[in-house]
Amino acid sequence: MKYMLLIYSPENAWIPEEWKQCVEVSMQICEEMAAKGQLISAAPLHPVATASTVRVREGKRFITAGPFAETTEQLGGYYLIDVENLDEAISISSRLPPALKGTVEIRPLFKLDGLPAEKHTAESSNTETSLKKFMFLCYDDEEAWRNAGEQAHHAAMHEAVALTRRLDAVSQYISASPLHPVATATSIRVRNGQRIVTDGPFAETSEVMGGYYLILAKDQSDAVEIAAEHSGARAGAVEVRQIFDLTSLQQNE
Amino acid sequence: MSVPNDQIIRQNVDEVYRSESRRVFATLVRLLRDFDLAEEAMHEAFTLAVTQWAETGVPENPRAWLISTGRFKAIDVLRRRGRLDGLAPDVVRRIEAVAASNDERASHDIEDDQLRLIFTCCHPAIDPMVQVPLTLREVCGLSTDEVARAFLTAPVTMAQRIVRGKAKIRDAGIPFVIPTTSDFPQRLESVLAVIYLVFNEGYSASSGDVVTRADLSGEAIRLGRLLLELLHDPEVIGLLALMLLQESRRNARATDDGDIILLEDQDRSLWNASLIKEGLSLVERSLSTRRFGVYSVQAAIAAVHATAPTAERTDWPQIVALYDALLSLNPSPVVELNRAVAMAMRDGPEAGLVMIDSILARGDLLDYHLSHAARGELCRRLGRVADAREAFNQAISLARQEPERRFLTRRLSEL
Repeated sequence: MKYMLLIYSPENAWIPEEWKQCVEVSMQICEEMAAKGQLISAAPLHPVATASTVRVREGKRFITAGPFAETTEQLGGYYLIDVENLDEAISISSRLPPALKGTVEIRPLFKLDGLPAEKHTAESSNTETSLKKFMFLCYDDEEAWRNAGEQAHHAAMHEAVALTRRLDAVSQYISASPLHPVATATSIRVRNGQRIVTDGPFAETSEVMGGYYLILAKDQSDAVEIAAEHSGARAGAVEVRQIFDLTSLQQNE
Repeated sequence: MSVPNDQIIRQNVDEVYRSESRRVFATLVRLLRDFDLAEEAMHEAFTLAVTQWAETGVPENPRAWLISTGRFKAIDVLRRRGRLDGLAPDVVRRIEAVAASNDERASHDIEDDQLRLIFTCCHPAIDPMVQVPLTLREVCGLSTDEVARAFLTAPVTMAQRIVRGKAKIRDAGIPFVIPTTSDFPQRLESVLAVIYLVFNEGYSASSGDVVTRADLSGEAIRLGRLLLELLHDPEVIGLLALMLLQESRRNARATDDGDIILLEDQDRSLWNASLIKEGLSLVERSLSTRRFGVYSVQAAIAAVHATAPTAERTDWPQIVALYDALLSLNPSPVVELNRAVAMAMRDGPEAGLVMIDSILARGDLLDYHLSHAARGELCRRLGRVADAREAFNQAISLARQEPERRFLTRRLSEL
């Protein structure tokens, strides 16, 4: 089963030395997972200060600076993994250093037919382009979609698939997927050496993360343009975050 | 023959249903990884048993027959649902792939399926509000209505919780396995917590239909026995002992009108001797392993009370020592409070009062009615009537259950 691990922690919780150590441990875990064929992709995100949030209402774009929601703990990174079951996802999550200070939210991916095959992170970063990687965090009101009916939901999904295909055709697509409803979320924290597993998402909000895109774009404003094409932007919101390129970190050392 | 054959068969099937249905269900859940499909398939297998066994007689191994039949019935169900496309062939393949090897599996492995089911329903990734009803529904086989009645909840609310639990298991990929060694202690803890929660729901709550509530305690004890059959762990033994020893006092702990009778005032001849006997031998068994935990120590405390002829002639030094052991395993203000009460019995009310006051002075248990009730009781014994009155009033304002408020009010009026 495929899962997305969402890493939430206060951005100021890490002093540079700790952050470096956290990245090292995380990369080691990534290597282990990659060797077992469990890793799809993983990366930290640029700080929320650089985020933009896009909503489309009655054909008009509303773009705000900053994240979708102002919270003390923010989404700082993600992992996409392919493991046997939730227990494996929990055991990986509880080894991630941010679980000590923040929360790792585990979300199963919803299998949607028609999406282009995901590109391996390594491949897409090796391409000779000046394009940068971005993640779209798609926030929806699940209740509103339930009320809108299956047909409307289906149409929106279909539209999203079409967007991924257009992006794939111009080599700007890396990966995308809807997530299972937030009721299937599990949150992991590690405190005083004890693993704490709880049902539910990191934060209870009316609009919840319902899916993601990983894409390539020239810059933030180019990414925002693309994000506005996501069908969910008309009902919910899309937060655009640049992916932190770890390969540059390695090369600098 | 005077009794028609089909009536005998029906009785046989009913018997097999009572003894085997939960086991058959657990195995079908493992094979099909779908609670609803497993349930439907099991019921169809039992329906077929009624007609088929009338012709062939009851098979030598009815459980194996039911599992095997249930497996094929599941394919029928999928076919009927018209879902034998996309995902379904995968299920069919799974059903057929395991068929051969499963037939050869020892019955011990099949027993493990019930243990798997318990661990699945009590998985920490499931909301605790859902774990309890899910366990009662899927492991114990209670109907949704029965679970709802026992928890004084509307059936539709309970049904929603159970559906939510099953969806979480399915969509989040909660595995149907016995946890690995490293996870085992923590996972067992949540299973024991669920069972004890079910027990206490039936034991301590004094509202609602008294009979159904008692059934809930009985169900918890049954679960405890089942778990012990499957898993020889000192804490499983300890929990069962604790439940049996508490249950033994059920008939002595309240008047016919539902008024609380304190342990020291209970008519000990009303205590259930056979439950005590079983509880005591389990306590001994658990303590002798030297790997016991909080449930065993609590059971040991209950055992000291169970063997005391009167409150005064209770081995209070032993009880204080056991509370010390409990505190070292599980430091908590509530345990400290219980230890203070035992201290008061051993060394006099003054000693206990000093300890309670120090807990309250730290800011712990200020909102807990029993800390004020205990304080009031000790003040009363010391003749400090004004202090006792104040404490009982405080306790009454915090108590939430009607019989407790009645009891405290009576205590207050007796000052």
